[in-house]
Amino acid sequence: MNPTITLSFTLNGRPQRVDVSPNRTLLDLLREEIGLTGTKRGCDVGECGACTVLLDGRAVNSCLVLAPQVAGREVVTVEGLAPLGTLAPLQEAFIHHGAVQCGFCTPGMLMSAKDLLDHSARPPEREIREAIAGNLCRCTGYQQIVEAIEDAARRTHEAR
Amino acid sequence: MRPFSYIVAGSVQEAVAALHEHGRDARVLAGGTDLLVEWRHPGARVPRVVVDISRIESLRDISLEGRDVLLGPLTTHAELIRSGVIRSEAAFLASAASTIGSPQIRNRGTLGGNIMNGAACADTVPPLIALGARVTLSSVDGERDCHLSGFYNKPYTTVANPNELLTQVRFPALPRGTKSAFTKLGRRNALSISRLSVAAVVAVDETGVITDARIVPGAAQTVWKRAMEAEKILIGNPPSVALFAEAGRVVSGVLIRETGRRWSTEYKEPVIAALVRRTLEKCFAVND
Repeated sequence: MNPTITLSFTLNGRPQRVDVSPNRTLLDLLREEIGLTGTKRGCDVGECGACTVLLDGRAVNSCLVLAPQVAGREVVTVEGLAPLGTLAPLQEAFIHHGAVQCGFCTPGMLMSAKDLLDHSARPPEREIREAIAGNLCRCTGYQQIVEAIEDAARRTHEAR
Repeated sequence: MRPFSYIVAGSVQEAVAALHEHGRDARVLAGGTDLLVEWRHPGARVPRVVVDISRIESLRDISLEGRDVLLGPLTTHAELIRSGVIRSEAAFLASAASTIGSPQIRNRGTLGGNIMNGAACADTVPPLIALGARVTLSSVDGERDCHLSGFYNKPYTTVANPNELLTQVRFPALPRGTKSAFTKLGRRNALSISRLSVAAVVAVDETGVITDARIVPGAAQTVWKRAMEAEKILIGNPPSVALFAEAGRVVSGVLIRETGRRWSTEYKEPVIAALVRRTLEKCFAVND
């Protein structure tokens, strides 16, 4: 029972093959098997959003995805937002607006924001707040995060 | 999480074959937003076999067949919210789905999971009961249809056998011009569990009289059912705030009669009444 299975999927744009026990979550797989620790483990029950990643382009809690369920699918983590050594417009906006304090919620916030901006070019503030409703931040009070996402949307829109 | 055998079902046939073979030892996994939380509890009953149905594309459709809406159980809450068919034919089902969990949960959690998990706070169930939904259960022996209103014995307990798989949800689209609304009372806005909820449908004819009324409270009883006594009060009358308030008091009275008076009754009595009134008012609101 529970033999290891070999899993193939796309991680941050690159093909990935990894052996995993079926009772591990996508979060376990990313952090402990693959060593991408940008994705954070917070509550581990889908309440805090710190472990948010994109699965086939949509934000999901990686703690609630069974690792083998991503076979053949596309996963993007915070490490995949921009090439190594550079920052995505969203990341730059978070820094510029003071939207990062302790930083623990930041990777998850960025991925929820990424899902939003990938599907809605200039979302109104209400939509931004809804998009990060599944991400807890205990430092900022959210206002700076909302402003950062608004700003990133504006910059991305103007650059097009 | 305790170890288990993991089976990926590529089709309904493969899934029901696995359920037939493993019976009570097996558990069906779709979005996993309830099960993965449950299985990590200390002392949780983790199944020996997990049958992953998340790849069965035929269970993912939303379609219209005549005036019947057909939903695949793998439809996610986010897909329900975005669906043009649901928004036009059963708008309050989309409203209910939009109150579930968080964007992450709605991208992953499925309609079938909400139905089969059967929590008393399952938000898609009150609108589905109001819609007169039926569910199809499939097994190696064939298919059978059940009314969702008779599907639950008590919370977390359905009439489905361990070898059966939910393969379709079907309901008649609301007649044109019929109004619907869903209201949820939780302790916060996001990631909120329903403390109480109300799904309502109201139709008014050309003379301005209510001809159809359906009210289903959620998270309020051991099983969901329509509040027929209150519905009768509405039918034949023109809609008014006073009438809706009266219907609310009747629903509240019936629920308390059925569940008995307890420590929370003083709170719930006016709250259920207000929730029913507001939901009926929302049916007639311009922007909802």
